[in-house]
Amino acid sequence: MHEIRVGFEDILKKQLELAGKNYELLSTHGVKAFNVMGAIGSGKTTVILRLAEALRRRGLRAGAVAGDVAGDDDYRRFRQAGLPAANINTGDDCHLDAHRVHHILEELPLDEIDILFIENVGNLVCPADFPLGTEMDIVVISVTEGGDMVRKHPKIFAQTDVMVINKVDLAEVVGVDPQRLVADYRTVNPHGIAILTDAKIGRGIEELLSALGI
Amino acid sequence: MHEYSLALSLLESLRARLAEDPVRGRVKKVHLRQGELLVLSREALREAWSLVTEGTELAGSELAIETVPVRVRCLACGYGGDAKYLAAEGWHVRVPVLSCPRCDARVEIVEGRDLAVVALTVEERVETG
Ligand SMILES: Nc1nc2c(ncn2[C@@H]2O[C@H](COP(=O)(O)OP(=O)(O)O)[C@@H](O)[C@H]2O)c(=O)[nH]1
Ligand SMILES: [Mg+2]
Ligand SMILES: [Zn+2]
Ligand SMILES: [Zn+2]
Ligand SMILES: [Zn+2]
Repeated sequence: MHEIRVGFEDILKKQLELAGKNYELLSTHGVKAFNVMGAIGSGKTTVILRLAEALRRRGLRAGAVAGDVAGDDDYRRFRQAGLPAANINTGDDCHLDAHRVHHILEELPLDEIDILFIENVGNLVCPADFPLGTEMDIVVISVTEGGDMVRKHPKIFAQTDVMVINKVDLAEVVGVDPQRLVADYRTVNPHGIAILTDAKIGRGIEELLSALGI
Repeated sequence: MHEYSLALSLLESLRARLAEDPVRGRVKKVHLRQGELLVLSREALREAWSLVTEGTELAGSELAIETVPVRVRCLACGYGGDAKYLAAEGWHVRVPVLSCPRCDARVEIVEGRDLAVVALTVEERVETG
């Protein structure tokens, strides 16, 4: 037996290059894109719809990509709200990747969009490992998932610039203190920004827009 | 779980390499490096590997996976090197913190999400006759 060294080639490098291409394409069309990650049901779609309304009031046009394992329910919600939108079904895959996003960008009227929200597959484990070519990453959690979400999934929070704690209207009912989640987030990500929202009525959405640099 | 598609990408990249630069003998072990940030179930990757290699020249080969630490770069003070890790009590996993170990400014990740083949263990063919 003998060992042969081979020059190492990162198999994820192709994805990184594609992410760079996506970023360039988006920039060419003057689009700022955001990767919206988070658990299933935390309120990603609702938050995006609220952000789109707030942007409209400022004269900015939002667009959305719905990423889901199956189905087109979120896509329909975006369309119903009047947003240019596209749907990605990943089948068995648990995350969006730059290649899939690259193809979906071809379907969108990029010149009619100022801000694009890409809703990732509901999952707190792996999506942060796959850059899409967006301006910034956001992770949306809600108090109903419990007070220890950050401790359970520290890696995604350590890497994500903005954390949204949604459904704060239910905090008391479920007995979760949002400030504890904020404190945990600060521990793993001293430079991150935490925003508390009640997306049902739109509370915290303006603060979130500022956090996104809009 | 995305281990199956990672296994397929690994196989594709390795076979392309072997076609260009063949080894004499059977590949027994494929040595991988895995960036610490990359979320991966090794068990699932090994299972996927044995499935995707079936019927190929890599059938029966084993994966040996080594974790490589996160490396960061600080744009504020110029630091480049290992990341700082979470030291607080009650955190069960090693978590790299994206703050500069020297000046506490936000740092960029330079390395830590990659997955790559670094070496092969090959069983040489025994010459007969
Ligand atoms: N009470 C409350 N419910 C919310 C809030 N945001 C979203 N929801 C509800 O939570 C459910 C899941 O929201 P959705 O946006 O589809 O979550 P997603 O799976 O992350 O996209 C829906 O029934 C929403 O109406 C909130 O801030 N407060
Ligand atoms: Mg949704
Ligand atoms: Zn995944
Ligand atoms: Zn393609
Ligand atoms: Zn520094």
